[in-house]
Amino acid sequence: MSALRRPPPLAVVAVVALAVLMLVPMLWVLILSFKDNTALLADTASAFVPPYTFANYRNIMGEGQVFTWLMNSVIVSLAMTAGVLIVSSLAGYGFARLEFPGRKILFVVVLFGLAIPEQAVIIGRHQIFSALSMHNSYTALVVPGLSMPFGVFLMTQYFRAIPVEIDEAAMLDGASRFRIFWRILLPLTIPAQATLGIFTFFQAWNDYWWPLISATDGQMYTLTVGIAATQVNFAQAEGLGFLMAQAVFAGLPTLIVYLIFQKYIVRAVAGAAGQ
Amino acid sequence: MRRLILAPLLALLAACGASDDRTELVVQRFFGSCQADYGAVNDPTKADGECGIMTALINRFEADNPDIRVVENVVFWPGYDQLTAQLAANGPPDLVTMHSSAISDYEARDLLEPLNPVLAQAGVSPESFTPAARAGVMVGDQVMGLPIDVWAPLWHINMNLFRKAGLVRDGRPILPSSPEEFDAHARQFHERTGKPYLVQVTDKDFAGPMRIFYMYVMQQGGAPFRDARHSNFNSPEGQRALGFMRDLYQQGHSVRNQDYAGAVSTFLKGEGGVLIDGTWMVGQFTAASQREDSALADGYAVRPFPAIFKERNVSLVDGHNWVMPRDERRTQAQREAAARFLRFFADNNFQWARTGHFPAYTSIIESAAWRALPHRSDIAVLTQIGEPLPRFVRRQSPIEFIVGEEASAAFTGQKSVDRALQDMQRRADEILQSF
Repeated sequence: MSALRRPPPLAVVAVVALAVLMLVPMLWVLILSFKDNTALLADTASAFVPPYTFANYRNIMGEGQVFTWLMNSVIVSLAMTAGVLIVSSLAGYGFARLEFPGRKILFVVVLFGLAIPEQAVIIGRHQIFSALSMHNSYTALVVPGLSMPFGVFLMTQYFRAIPVEIDEAAMLDGASRFRIFWRILLPLTIPAQATLGIFTFFQAWNDYWWPLISATDGQMYTLTVGIAATQVNFAQAEGLGFLMAQAVFAGLPTLIVYLIFQKYIVRAVAGAAGQ
Repeated sequence: MRRLILAPLLALLAACGASDDRTELVVQRFFGSCQADYGAVNDPTKADGECGIMTALINRFEADNPDIRVVENVVFWPGYDQLTAQLAANGPPDLVTMHSSAISDYEARDLLEPLNPVLAQAGVSPESFTPAARAGVMVGDQVMGLPIDVWAPLWHINMNLFRKAGLVRDGRPILPSSPEEFDAHARQFHERTGKPYLVQVTDKDFAGPMRIFYMYVMQQGGAPFRDARHSNFNSPEGQRALGFMRDLYQQGHSVRNQDYAGAVSTFLKGEGGVLIDGTWMVGQFTAASQREDSALADGYAVRPFPAIFKERNVSLVDGHNWVMPRDERRTQAQREAAARFLRFFADNNFQWARTGHFPAYTSIIESAAWRALPHRSDIAVLTQIGEPLPRFVRRQSPIEFIVGEEASAAFTGQKSVDRALQDMQRRADEILQSF
């Protein structure tokens, strides 16, 4: 690395300091999770002195259904991520490249979706799934999340940014429209796909409200609903350590996902930012 | 080798395919889950705390009733969003935990099944309930739930600080009986201990301020609600109650900037004389008083909320109950299973009362065993003077939030008392008139 590109030491110190500052609440959560609930009830400052315990994590693991809830969250998050990527890519390609009647109006309708909060539609959505007797199923947990206007918008903009000459050159070589989409354009959108995929996965993983009212059978709880249900009344006072251990446990899978895909995630975000 | 693999698989398949002819009873409850500690415990006497005792009781019921399979659905407190969603989807559980204050809302929409025939079948008479418990579940002559307990806000007292403040006589705490005496006691307490008299929730959690406000209004003989469509907060009683709460705070008699967890911790650390909190904390504080390193060591007492305004000797109470949501698909066998479940809970109400909540049955209140539990005889009177909010008021849960939020804003000085009461009444009436 040349001297010109080396960041100034002050900037490095500032960045490190900010990073540490950002980590403080997470470290606080982590420390509390290893403390006895009774000790924390009396004084949270006891977190800074031993003894520490794994009891809160043991209690989470001892909950018979916790791995069922974990698996439900994995299935729902992965299915929703895959679905959103497929739907958004196809729709984005269609809006960016295809000419059909009502295209502009339809795109505006999709954009309107960005402005409609979930609260406005959730009762109607619940009634639809009730009428179809589909609550307490993976379908009910996944399908509503597939309509993601942001994803369609993002992919449309990304496809539009790719020069149309690439399509024309491929057509001259005899490639079909699907082949152009699948073999040429889609690989060029990987950064956007990664961004959308990460965004969707985390949104699905953290979703609480819809699973709360759709998956009312304990066997179908997602992790967010399940671990909330295990909290004793007044958990913020009487079960603070357990509450923090739950936060760590629920966040751990996303941290693992990040560590595994770190290279791609950073590249994707950097690539998306550069577009 | 292949056999080794296939045999367990076939056994598993056979097990999956085996029919379970037990009657399924879906029981939905809050109080959390504690399977790691109590999943295998079916002796309630060996369990502690709400979660532990509830889990052990249900385990015991299953062990005693092998023909019934209890499907236990634990929900995040209070679970009403889930219940409403289940009712909308025509798939409610057979029995659900519900607060007395929430029953009117579901009952008015005809979503609950009166339990008269089920309780008759179970051999449980509503006459056996305490007056406070009965008031929580009766609508006319219909019994809408089986009471599990009654709970109330209490005065949890640090006797060590009270002694230092000279507020103990014959080993018993001297409590105020008028606003003027309250002020005098608080001043004396602060002068001698250097600490505030009152520990209360002042931020984020609005249940505490709401209960105190209701209590003071009721003690003056005031009615918080005029009728089913109109609240009555902006009244002389409301003015006096909220003005008194504000004065205590402004004069430094109360801690500041405390959420629920902070207030409990402050009290346990001995940073204040009286914590206003519910029956559920009696066990925790009793345990703390038995530890030598605690600020409450040998110095904890608990009393009903004192009658500061003497027009009525009354205390606000609420309670937990089992209710049965309407479900046309429920079979007779499931009804019978529910009857046995409710009978079991009635028979074992003493075990639940060890949580600190009041028993729902007069026979237990009068029993030597219950009175022998720590501090119970000091607060038993609440089962006689306890009064829930009026049954005709629906949507009490969101209204309670509004009352607490506005009361908190007024006594901490963010709003004037007049403005807070006006806003409280307007917002509550909007809800009461919205359906």
